[in-house]
Amino acid sequence: MDLEREGGRGANQLRPIDCSRNVLSRAHGSASCSHGETRVLAAVYGPKAGTKKNENPEKACIEVIWKPKSGQIGKPEKEFQMILKRTLQNICLLNVHPNTTTSIIVQVVHDDGSLLPCAIHAACAALIDAGIPLKYLAVSISCCLTESGKILLDPNKLEEQKMKAFVCLAFPSSVHSVLTEGSINGIITSLTHGVMAGYTFLTLILDEYFQCVEQGRAAITPLSNILKKKLQSQSAE
Amino acid sequence: MEQRLGSTWRMTVNEKKFIETALLSDLRTDGRGPFDYRNLTIQFGSEDGSSEVQLGQTRVMGFVTSQLVQPYRDRPNEGSLAIFTEFSPMADPSFEVGRPGEFAVELGRIVDRGLRESRAVDTESLCVVAGKWVWSIRIDLHILDNGGNLVDAANIAALAALLTFRRPECTLGGEDGQEVTIHPPDVREPLPLIVHHLPIAVTFAFIGNESTVVIDPSHFEEAVMGGKLTATLNTNGDVCAIQKAGGEGVMQSVIMQCLRIASVKAADITDKIKKAVGLDGGVVEVAHERYESGLWTLILKNGGVWLLILLTNWSSKEAFCSFTLLHLLEKLRNKTFVLVGKAAWKGVNNLSKEMEKPKMKTEDRSINQDDMEIEIHSSKKDGSSLGDNKPKAFTGGPSSWDPYSKGVNVDELKASLASRAVVTPKEEMDTSPPLKPATDESLKDADPAPSSQETAGTTEHTNEAKTLKDAVKPKHKRKKKKNLHHLFETLLETRLSRCCNVNLLCSLELAIVACN
Repeated sequence: MDLEREGGRGANQLRPIDCSRNVLSRAHGSASCSHGETRVLAAVYGPKAGTKKNENPEKACIEVIWKPKSGQIGKPEKEFQMILKRTLQNICLLNVHPNTTTSIIVQVVHDDGSLLPCAIHAACAALIDAGIPLKYLAVSISCCLTESGKILLDPNKLEEQKMKAFVCLAFPSSVHSVLTEGSINGIITSLTHGVMAGYTFLTLILDEYFQCVEQGRAAITPLSNILKKKLQSQSAE
Repeated sequence: MEQRLGSTWRMTVNEKKFIETALLSDLRTDGRGPFDYRNLTIQFGSEDGSSEVQLGQTRVMGFVTSQLVQPYRDRPNEGSLAIFTEFSPMADPSFEVGRPGEFAVELGRIVDRGLRESRAVDTESLCVVAGKWVWSIRIDLHILDNGGNLVDAANIAALAALLTFRRPECTLGGEDGQEVTIHPPDVREPLPLIVHHLPIAVTFAFIGNESTVVIDPSHFEEAVMGGKLTATLNTNGDVCAIQKAGGEGVMQSVIMQCLRIASVKAADITDKIKKAVGLDGGVVEVAHERYESGLWTLILKNGGVWLLILLTNWSSKEAFCSFTLLHLLEKLRNKTFVLVGKAAWKGVNNLSKEMEKPKMKTEDRSINQDDMEIEIHSSKKDGSSLGDNKPKAFTGGPSSWDPYSKGVNVDELKASLASRAVVTPKEEMDTSPPLKPATDESLKDADPAPSSQETAGTTEHTNEAKTLKDAVKPKHKRKKKKNLHHLFETLLETRLSRCCNVNLLCSLELAIVACN
């Protein structure tokens, strides 16, 4: 039953991705990213002077505002805000502009599964558009786990709800980097929903989770190439 | 520590003087004339009820959602409409998160007043069980980019979203008929909202001492203006609301002039909205049309589907009614279209018919059951997208506000209008018989039709005059057929009934030709 994905996609096949920059006129940087039907709009204002009370003034501060499509801002939105903030804090060069605040506003236009990866891509593209210095790009993917242990990449909303578990992963992606090899292959963010068991009850190894990670990482390279191509073609204009 | 230094933006004295001086010679900074609107583009999301409007640099998104709730105590029969505006911080550095500022509240109130108090959205049709369950419609407006004139853009976004929104169908069940079951969209076709007219907000800015008036101010002009006036009008000539909150004093004559200009602009914008909503459903072209001895023949093309339509008029001396179909409304005024099913139409008309010159291309394919079936298959996509045009039938046309002009069988019309809210034949909600396409009848009757145009006329005459009610047959067809036919029926009734003031008897027949 899991082999039949909507639209005839393969288990490792991603939905078409589109990313465009400079979509808004007032914001310092803006981008719109879509994964299939999921669409997210991101805008960046910054760096602005001053940091918030509890933030470290020796570093730049990243502030994320997550706007859902309709309804009040509740706990899920606050969670997304926190995750996105921590992810972006990792990729930005925080020492370049100390004592400043950069605000990133994310607006969900349509949610059809893998919302967080789409938001991460949109936020990164918006940061590029605003000219904020970054260490590397974050490339993100979500994988879901079926009952039979099969792993499907880039699920849509229906698949996410039907599956046993799904995980959203963000990896760094860079052509060149001054940092050592080790940190390039690491996972920036990982967010799981649902239970991912190990095959052997006694050892409780998170087999399924690591399988997801491997498959996700394998898919990251072509994905990051696509994204870079889209962002580069616009900056050439 | 200052947190929001980036949010202060002051207009320089030079910029201010420049704008004012330029306006004295009727020049605006973006090259427009004082009464020109910026470019308006309306796009729709993949879901029903989501729209994105771009007016120059201003971008607004509208989302419409619905929920079953308990009605207000003093209005047990009416649903409710609520508008929420979100001034997203991405639109302007001065917009803050959290509680809406006074501009946000004012914008929400203007849009709300335009829709609610003018009764643009029919709230009585949102009632499911009186006193217990009604539909509550929620409109969320997200301001994405503040390029000036947020009110107009937000209004258009709200209207566009309302027109494309579909609410789920629900039926009453249970022992006492009080239990409501909501059907998901794949089980039953969701229904559009009934929108009687489109209230369009037009904003004017008063700049400088000489009371220079400009329409659709950009955000530079808004920073310079001394006063602002927003007039909400519809194409029926009604003024739904006027808002002028303080600012410079303006002469009465100037306000009257503004209202006159606003009505012209409102008509313009209404056209654009309707076109955008209609275009979503596909383009219908008139391939050929011909009138010959009392028989109108028309071929319409929508994507891969060709429709051959025949109309015979019993009393050829009478004028044909003006008929508009989807976004071809304006172009094809004064032409008669045949719509779904076989129906005798008692209607009214006061416009003269026009003869058609172009040669008609006869379709060689004979119509038989299979062709009909094939056609319906291929038209499935078009049909379902054409279905989006259903709300067009409800929006205010160029004719009068009152759909019940004299000469129309009012009960019949009421029945058909009421039953339009009821899509499937299984519904027993309304007293009126549900709308049904006369597919069966038309299928059989359509058989001899294309083979000879002339005999079709004679076949028609043998049919007795029936009312619309009689002509419509039980609808037990597949969804796809329902969409296409339902659309035509709906349009047939609203359009024909709208242009009524004379008794006219004619029978209509629809023959559908498949063309891959």
